[in-house]
Amino acid sequence: MIPLEWYLALAAVLFSIGAYGILVERNGLKVLMCLEILLNAANINLVAFSRENLMGQEFALFSIAIAACEVAVGLALLIMLFRYMDTIDLETFNILRW
Amino acid sequence: MAWIDYAYWIALLPLIGFVLELFIGKYTYKRGGLFANLAILGSTIIALGTLMDVLGGARIDVSVPWFYDGIVVGYLIDPLAIVMLCMVSFVSLMIHLYALGYMEEDPDKSLYFAETSLFTCGMLGLVLSNNLLQLFIFWELVGLCSYLLIGFWWYKPEAAAAGKKAFLTTRVGDVLFLAGIILLYFNVSHLPEPLSFRYIFSFEVLETIPPAHLTAIALLFLGGAVGKSSQFPLHVWIPDAMEGPTTVSALIHAATMVTAGIYLVARTYPIFMASPNALVVVAVLGGFTALFAATLGLVVNDIKRVLAYSTISQLGYMLCMLGVGSIIGAFAVGYSLFHLISHAFFKALLFLCAGAVLHGLANARDLREMGGLLKKMPVTGIAMLIGALSLSGFPLTAGFFSKDRIIETAYEYGAATGNFLPWIFILVAALLTAIYTFRLWFMAFTGEPRSYLAEHAHEASKIMTTPLIVLATFALFFGLAQSRFYEFVGANFDSHLIEELAHLGGYHFHEAHAVPFIVMILPAICAIGGIGIAYGIWYNSRVDLSKYISKDNPIYKVLWNKYYLDYIFKDLIAERLFGFVALLAEAFDKYIIDGVVNAISWIVIKIGSVLRKVQTGVVETYATAVVIGVVLLIMLIGGVL
Repeated sequence: MIPLEWYLALAAVLFSIGAYGILVERNGLKVLMCLEILLNAANINLVAFSRENLMGQEFALFSIAIAACEVAVGLALLIMLFRYMDTIDLETFNILRW
Repeated sequence: MAWIDYAYWIALLPLIGFVLELFIGKYTYKRGGLFANLAILGSTIIALGTLMDVLGGARIDVSVPWFYDGIVVGYLIDPLAIVMLCMVSFVSLMIHLYALGYMEEDPDKSLYFAETSLFTCGMLGLVLSNNLLQLFIFWELVGLCSYLLIGFWWYKPEAAAAGKKAFLTTRVGDVLFLAGIILLYFNVSHLPEPLSFRYIFSFEVLETIPPAHLTAIALLFLGGAVGKSSQFPLHVWIPDAMEGPTTVSALIHAATMVTAGIYLVARTYPIFMASPNALVVVAVLGGFTALFAATLGLVVNDIKRVLAYSTISQLGYMLCMLGVGSIIGAFAVGYSLFHLISHAFFKALLFLCAGAVLHGLANARDLREMGGLLKKMPVTGIAMLIGALSLSGFPLTAGFFSKDRIIETAYEYGAATGNFLPWIFILVAALLTAIYTFRLWFMAFTGEPRSYLAEHAHEASKIMTTPLIVLATFALFFGLAQSRFYEFVGANFDSHLIEELAHLGGYHFHEAHAVPFIVMILPAICAIGGIGIAYGIWYNSRVDLSKYISKDNPIYKVLWNKYYLDYIFKDLIAERLFGFVALLAEAFDKYIIDGVVNAISWIVIKIGSVLRKVQTGVVETYATAVVIGVVLLIMLIGGVL
């Protein structure tokens, strides 16, 4: 049986990659993808901890469904933004600040 | 089931009349007036019924708790209150009846009757009150109604200004009165119902108050009376108050409002008696006002203003009577009230006659435009002659008996204390009163008509002349009641109590001296002499006045400008002095108060403009902050930090 720590390490690596991508990327699409990686890191953790019962896996399924919805909304937002601004560079979307 | 148990309805009925008149008066018979007249008629009937009870010896003093320990509402009926109640309700009824005719054409007729009804309610409530706080509330209600009614024709700028002037001037007195009440309260607050009158009537209570406080209280009350009863120097509002409808002037001058000040002094007479020196001030101030106003009455040409000055002058007599009463004790209240009531009859009569004249002349008020009206309006002319005779103190009219008594007492006061000042003042004033009253009558009713309007004057309608006849009867024959009246009202205060209080105040009663015969008939001589002088000048034209009436004559100039008091009050005090204070206050407000507020907002804005740089609008920045925050949180929980 693969030790728990391996799963956790994988999840930590994925989480770091996702967080890094969100912090440094300007392209909205890439930011959305990084967000998915973040969520999947969390899912791995949930599955990894569900050794005694299956509750963790149920949570992971919920989480995947919600992630799908979220991506749908996120992509729709990006499309609308692109229609207005002709770009999906997130740095240009700062018109609501002072 | 005596009348006296229902005496509070005397004040409640006009209040109900006010509400009904205000909301549905417009839709009733002839656009209003019905409810007010019925209400006041009811008050008069109850007042007269109660008078019968009180004559039979009944007294009542009932209070119910109001909102705070010892603050009560209630009513008090004693001889002093009941004669006032009868006079106020009866004279007010006459004026209301007359107003049915006088205000017939007015578009706001129902509003007028609502306000006069409330006015009457205020005055009746003031008289009924059994404690000072309640009296003060009604006192203010009367002041408010006077403002509303003087400014009733608000679209005239003079009327609006006059209403404001009346309100502000009487307010000076009201503040003094309130200060007096507060000072009294501090001295008696240990008693169960501190401001009730029955303590004022009690020697044990007044004894515990320091004499200096008593004098201060008495003088502050006098200040209130000076404002309400328009004594010098707060009399300036009354001549301007003539801008209101004439019926309002009659109400203010005869039945309600101005008599309230005299009533206050009479009601709190034990305090005045117990306070050293206060009554001397009352006597001299009253006497001086009587003379002062009489001189002003000589020069004005406005028929209503002549009467206004005569009111100030006659109120001076009443106040003077209370002052010189320090040598005779409790009876002074009876003498003063007798003049108050006979004055109410003849002054209401005179004003209503003046109203009839104005009605007949399309509101021309200048005496110089009248003349020869006796033939055109005989009833009004005769009624006004009776009123004028009574005001002048012509022998055997009501005014003669009441005024004669005051002048005689003033002489006795002079003989007893050596202070003849009040006597001289009011004696000269009596002469001047006769002169200016008959100047008015001769100028208006005799000679040739001096204007188109006077040629085409017409007599007033029946509903207006009937009250004139009733009031004229009283003005002629009320004097017959004098000895009974003195006994009745003079016994209002226990004479032993007054005597003990007089010791406290340092006054000494004197047995009535035999007044010299010449002094006894002097008032009558003054009256007849004054009428004679007026006859000589304005009827027979034996003296040519035109060379005296000019702006070059300094005496005339001073009188014409009303001793420059209006100038002093308005220009010097109101504008210069208060203007300077207002300037300082404005600077303080602008630079200090506003400065603090502006400084605070400036600081907030500056801090904000620095801090807002944090909000870049770049998503990455926010996300970085979130991640750093989460990492810090984890480290904190994990115990690394």
